[in-house]
Amino acid sequence: MLSTPRLITRCKNVDTSILTIIRTKRTKANKNSTGVSPQMQRVVTQLSVMSARKKQPKMLKLSNEDLIKHQTIETAWKIYQDKLQGQRTLRLKKQYFAVKEAMDTLKEVSPALFYEANVDESGKTFPMELRVPTDAPPREIWHYDYTLKTTET
Amino acid sequence: MTTKAPSTIRAALVLARTPIVVPKLTKFESQYIKYKSELERRLMWTFPAYYYFKKGTMSEYKFQSAQKKPISKQPGVWYPEGIPDIKHCRERSTKQEVIIPKETPKSDDTSVSRPVVKNPAVTRADESNDLTSLERQLRNTLYLLVKSGSKGEWKFPSFDVGSNQPLHEVAESGIREIGGNKLNTWTVSRKPVKVLNDGKDGSLEFLIKSRIFSGEFVPKNKDTEFKWLTKEEIKDFVNKDYYDNTEYLLDK
Repeated sequence: MLSTPRLITRCKNVDTSILTIIRTKRTKANKNSTGVSPQMQRVVTQLSVMSARKKQPKMLKLSNEDLIKHQTIETAWKIYQDKLQGQRTLRLKKQYFAVKEAMDTLKEVSPALFYEANVDESGKTFPMELRVPTDAPPREIWHYDYTLKTTET
Repeated sequence: MTTKAPSTIRAALVLARTPIVVPKLTKFESQYIKYKSELERRLMWTFPAYYYFKKGTMSEYKFQSAQKKPISKQPGVWYPEGIPDIKHCRERSTKQEVIIPKETPKSDDTSVSRPVVKNPAVTRADESNDLTSLERQLRNTLYLLVKSGSKGEWKFPSFDVGSNQPLHEVAESGIREIGGNKLNTWTVSRKPVKVLNDGKDGSLEFLIKSRIFSGEFVPKNKDTEFKWLTKEEIKDFVNKDYYDNTEYLLDK
């Protein structure tokens, strides 16, 4: 860029229509147009990744109709979640009273078994074999060849 | 309070195989998730490609040429869908679609970047409707139901409590007596989750919850039949009273 005017002045008496652009030797100035060191440039790039400038989309402006649509969708979802939560709570309540009834009966029928059932289990953890459900089944769906490990003390 | 004469106490085991595959979303759930994700994409910041691809490299070129270029604003042009507002090569009024350049996969590709092929959730046991298989109904919880003899009824396996051995130990050792030692189970709790009153002989049946992780149930006695059933299917096999009393203990 800098060398272009000089080029033109040098060829003043030549017809400008046949002037071709000659690529000049790269200089430090046009290699690094911002004029900062590469280390500095890296910091600027990293900071600009976190900054919202130039990256934020346009604000979402919903028309009245769209807003009502959006609110309806959200309300429907909330009602659906409330319904699921209600079912869950009801089931947990039933389970709680079932355990209570079982324990009360056990206390009455066999205090020894009741005592055994009440042994503190705090600190009990899930076993390592517990598998979390996944999107797709594994290649070996079930491990059949299980042999009981005998622990010798 | 009159203490009853100690009637026969039985310990039953509710042995469950937990789901292997996540449950299917309902139509409403998947529609809502799609709506929310589209909304989120619309409001997402522009992808800073200049941070991930070094200027002038081959990977930058590949990435940039895979992207769809937005329509730019030109003077004297009428834009029916609004005047383009482009920053960092993104139309600000719509969501940004970041396209990852992909090479056509080879059939013998063994690299880690090869496309993922998911295994089907419907297995051979589902197709042949093999109710004794543990590999069926991967999206649901399965429960072990047994029937002893041709006259017996389908129910959770139950065992007599003789001495003062804890209920969960009776249930866990009992299942191994009828179904072999090849069972890797885990008792959820020592406490019974439910007591069932048998009207006929006045025996009390305490249900203990347990989970199976590996191994299989192989009945030692030929008369013993067994099935791995979902909650829905259990309804068809047990009598109504039994189902109503245990229904809320079972997962879908």
